[in-house]
Order: sequence, then structure tokens, then C-alpha cells
Amino acid sequence: MKTAIVSFFLLTNLIAYDKGDTINDSIASHLGCNDDKVYIIDFFASWCGSCKKELPLISVANTKIDSSKVEIIGVDVDKDVNAGIKFQNDLKNSNKLNFRVINDPQNLIISEFAPIGMPTLYYVKNKKVISIVTGAVDNIDEKIIDDLKAME
Amino acid sequence: MKINITMTLCALFLFTGCVKDVKPWEKGTLAKKSMKESGTNPLAKKYEEHIYYSKEASRGGNGVAGGGCGCN
Repeated sequence: MKTAIVSFFLLTNLIAYDKGDTINDSIASHLGCNDDKVYIIDFFASWCGSCKKELPLISVANTKIDSSKVEIIGVDVDKDVNAGIKFQNDLKNSNKLNFRVINDPQNLIISEFAPIGMPTLYYVKNKKVISIVTGAVDNIDEKIIDDLKAME
Repeated sequence: MKINITMTLCALFLFTGCVKDVKPWEKGTLAKKSMKESGTNPLAKKYEEHIYYSKEASRGGNGVAGGGCGCN
């Protein structure tokens, strides 16, 4: 009985993607990351200050990567879609956002990944999580380039 | 004994909503200016602090760092 109660509490908190996990088929097709390219999935929101700081740097990294081998996908988790789209448009207009963004107002995608903080980057290849970068990182553009080089 | 176990299990299932933690991606509302101690007017907080510091002859020791995104 004690084991069952402990397991119940543990299971409700431990369902999250970790390094080496394979992502759900429906989520992969929703994100459009089914092939053998390396996909960098960036979870962000308009209310997240660190995400706002990182997005222009990730866009810089996007200009330096080989788009035939790597694609960056943003996932905006704003529950208010209009606020999210306005935030994205403001960034796009000032050339600070240059990659594909998927809006996730129902939080279906991020609930599946369940990162421990925001912003979080997931490196995915063949639907498998190969690396995770959580939290704000200084010079994230350089880190992405270095990570990709290490993966070659 | 059986009744106690059943009641405990029922309580666990009924009250799990009360202990549900806020996930990092659910902190949009918490990050709003209106959720700050001083509300939407940051000057009100500064004004209160100014009076407090002058009366107590000390400053600092209040507030925490962070942007409310749960990343650090």
C-alpha cells in the first residue's frame, strides 16, 4: 500500500522527456520533426524575460547553421495567442526572430516535454532527444554552434 | 482498518488538486506587473521603501532576484 501511494506521487511528477527519450509520434508530426535532421526546439513565452534575451541570439545562430542539416523550431507557450503573435511580430520586425514558430496555447507540446524551467532548448534527431539546455545561457548562439559541432 | 484505507485513498485522489505545483510554463500570470507587491505602479513601492528606510535608518533586505520565468 505504501509503495502504491509513493509511486502515485512520483509518477505524477516524473513524466518528462529526458536525454535519450523518444518523442511521441503525434507531437513529432505536429512539430514537423520526423526526419533525420537535427531539430532544435526552443520553448519560449512573451512573459519570460530570459527567453526575450535569448531569441535574438538564437536567430543569429540560425543564420550560421546549415539549414539542410539543422532546423530551429520555436514553440510559443503563451496562453494568450494574440499576445504571443504580437510578441513574435515585434521581434520579426526588428530582425530578431528568423525561424519557424508554433503556437502552443493549450500547452500540449510543452506538457509532453515538461522542462524544469524556461527557456529550454531540446536537440532532437530521429525523434530522439539528444541534448537539453535549460535556463538562460550567455552567448547561447555560440553554445548552439559548439553543440552542433560536437554532434557531427 | 479497511474503511481508514479507503478514506485515505479517497482523500488522496480528491485533494491532489490542492497540492498541484505551478509548472514553469504556467507562470505567465505570476510574471505580470499586477502580481508584484506594488502592483502596476513601481513608484508606489519606491515611495513606501523611501519612508521605511528613512524611519529605520537602514536599507535593503527586501525582495528577491529573478524575472518570474522559473529559469534560475
